[in-house]
Amino acid sequence: MTINVKQDWKDIVHRCFRCGYCKFTFEYSDFNCPSYKKHRFETYSTGGRMWLIYGIINGDLQWSQNLANVLYSCSTCGNCMENCRFDKFNDFLVDIIEAARAEAVKNGFCPEKQKALLERTTNTEMFNPYGEPNSDNEELKKKYNLPDKAEWVYFIGCTSNYRQKNLRDATLRFLKKINLDFTLIDEHCCTSPIIRTGQIEPVKEFMNYNIDKIKEVGATKVITSCAGCCRTLKVDFAKQGVNHDLEIYHTSELVKRFLDEGKIMFTSEFNKTVTYHDPCHIGRHMGLYEEPRDVYKQIPGIKFVEMGRNRENAWCCGAGGGVKIGYPDWAVEISKERLEEAKETGATILSSTCPFCRTNLSDANDKFNLGLEVIDLIEILDQLEIKVNE
Amino acid sequence: MIKSDILTHLENIVGKDFASNNQEDLFIYSQDSGASLPRPVDFVVLPKTAEEIQKILRLANEERIPIVPMGGGMTLSGLTIPVNGGIVIDLKRMDKILEINEISRYALIEAGVTTGRLTAYLEKHYPDLEVSIPDAPPSATVTGNALIHGSGFLSHKYGNHGDMINGLEMVLPNGDICKLGSCAVSDYWFTRGPIPDLIGLFISSFGTMGIATKMAIKLYPKDNLREVIVGIFKEPKMIPDVISKITNTDIAEDIVFAVSEELIKGYIFLATFITGTSEEEIGTKTKILKRIYRKAKGSYMKVPRSFRNFFLEKPIFISSEADTRRGGGFEYSGNFLPLEKLPEAIEKAIEISRKYGISPSQVSRVIGKGHNVMFAASFSFNRADPNDMENARNALHETNKLVLDLGGIIWKPELAGQKLIIEKMDPSYKQLYKAIRAALDPNRIMNPGNWEIT
Repeated sequence: MTINVKQDWKDIVHRCFRCGYCKFTFEYSDFNCPSYKKHRFETYSTGGRMWLIYGIINGDLQWSQNLANVLYSCSTCGNCMENCRFDKFNDFLVDIIEAARAEAVKNGFCPEKQKALLERTTNTEMFNPYGEPNSDNEELKKKYNLPDKAEWVYFIGCTSNYRQKNLRDATLRFLKKINLDFTLIDEHCCTSPIIRTGQIEPVKEFMNYNIDKIKEVGATKVITSCAGCCRTLKVDFAKQGVNHDLEIYHTSELVKRFLDEGKIMFTSEFNKTVTYHDPCHIGRHMGLYEEPRDVYKQIPGIKFVEMGRNRENAWCCGAGGGVKIGYPDWAVEISKERLEEAKETGATILSSTCPFCRTNLSDANDKFNLGLEVIDLIEILDQLEIKVNE
Repeated sequence: MIKSDILTHLENIVGKDFASNNQEDLFIYSQDSGASLPRPVDFVVLPKTAEEIQKILRLANEERIPIVPMGGGMTLSGLTIPVNGGIVIDLKRMDKILEINEISRYALIEAGVTTGRLTAYLEKHYPDLEVSIPDAPPSATVTGNALIHGSGFLSHKYGNHGDMINGLEMVLPNGDICKLGSCAVSDYWFTRGPIPDLIGLFISSFGTMGIATKMAIKLYPKDNLREVIVGIFKEPKMIPDVISKITNTDIAEDIVFAVSEELIKGYIFLATFITGTSEEEIGTKTKILKRIYRKAKGSYMKVPRSFRNFFLEKPIFISSEADTRRGGGFEYSGNFLPLEKLPEAIEKAIEISRKYGISPSQVSRVIGKGHNVMFAASFSFNRADPNDMENARNALHETNKLVLDLGGIIWKPELAGQKLIIEKMDPSYKQLYKAIRAALDPNRIMNPGNWEIT
């Protein structure tokens, strides 16, 4: 798929009727599009964006910083794709927005904060959007006694490696505990942040680098603890024409599989009430709804409760699509709504399966003093005793 | 006052985040999904309270700026696109459901509450009550739809949505706030009278008389079972008789009929909706309807589950009709017709559609036990194709003329349709309307260009 508004989308963008289904939850009880709910101008609904993009294509509108701002004020959560009723159009809504962002970049209108993502990611000392010195992960390999060659690679992802190290370490301990034959690579950013913000120029190079590194260690399977990395490796590589024959697993998928196959069994209890936040990147973008739930439900002692909006109908955490870096205050406002919804369930733990969701939800939890514990599924599993059946 | 100063004033009233003259916002609010051409907008504001609207109207009076109120913006007739520029007031931030009175059966809501949200709210908290909603998308507002004299799935039983209004809070063109209906006398928004009924003045006047900020709308008891019984008929002339027979039985919740050459050429679908509290009741009503269909020389049609689900969804996903050209454009000539004129309207509207290369598609609803029929001939078009759009406009205009010739009245007409009505309107009606409008809005700020009677 070529990311180019004029080439790929010209014939379908105008199909949007601006009926507004895209803004709602399934049952229309509330607006479920974070951007529309915040701004309330029709402009900031997906329908509004489709019409703006068509306006650019047919010359009725000129690029401006504000126009770019409207396009970037979207967490690309995909609620619109679930609720738009027009088949063979709804699947492309987020792609169209990302394609339009790529046009904004090409026309010199990428907002400054989002630009910084690319600058840091392409910096040869960093290769990550956080601006941290690149970790080749050799120390971690030594610490966890990981081999040079293995069947699996744990692709840590930048957020876990540079910001949510607890999650990374919990994943490493868990994978060791279940005796998975895995190792680490000197990974570079998976490119999710730069794809989501339309900065696609170096994407293929990064993708090819990571594939080469994975293959160098002889791995055929990749596990990610990050929903964004998972989506990128599974979906975006192919969209960019970077094909690979690697099997990609999100941690929740791997654990579910091992539980189903009887390879592992939880033997201690976790006596807390937990609710689950669906990350958009593995939820609406990939349809992984039941795998994590199946894992939670097999944890002895756990009381698992659902929030009102869940699965395809979930409220986004607000971190994705460049919103966290572009609009940090708004991003935590979006998470605040999710945390309040979690509290209504009586849960004391809001758990997710994405370090980026964890970051934003934790930031909101701290900022608004909401008193929940925000942890990843893998951090719960890390606290359990596990029987491994070889 | 220069534009930047006006924007500053508006920002001071509604907050910086909710007033705009950015090209992007003006672009979006300068057009709707119908076939009307875009017209320029100067400002868009999103007030939260009636008091903010008061201030906006006072500013507009001082500066002689046109004001255009907007609910869901789903009329498709360009009614929320300014004719002479000015300020579009998008009311959807006024979105509180203020009261549900279970005993007197009404909902008191702010003007921006959507049909989707009120329906979901009742479903969750008051499952034995329901509100009539149109077949428009759930983003249509309850108040906006009632004020354009909309209709919905309970209109056969209880009339148009305008008839279901118990009370209104209006901001008048001079900025005064006025309560209408029982709420003018009582704390209860339970009825329109018995005082002089001024509510009608604000229905179908398209914002020329003021801006609604609150509305009380009637709620109705809801049965737990609902079914649709579909029949097909060959001749349009059969329809008035079969409708009369169904309405005589008093068993229908809703009666909708459709012509669709895309689906089935040469037949008219009749969908009668029934409700009940038991399967036995549904079964009895179904048998009665099948007998009526048969006696009227029609046929009962067992429909696939997907078809049945389509009809039973609330709101019906009528936007699918908008997508037949895959081009994001949809317009329809909606009209109020005497039932006896329906067969002629069906046949002649089919001819008009064909003349403009549009596959004939009509969906109509019986209102108030057959007192009226809301007849709609649809014209989907491709927004990217100017000829397609022009064809839709021409078909719309010609169908509108047809309906007026048949003794009907165009519903929520676009500017050209309004002119057609005004040409036929009794002079005394015109004078009365003009005098009232001049008294309420001497500076002519309220949606000027609409209902322009000279």
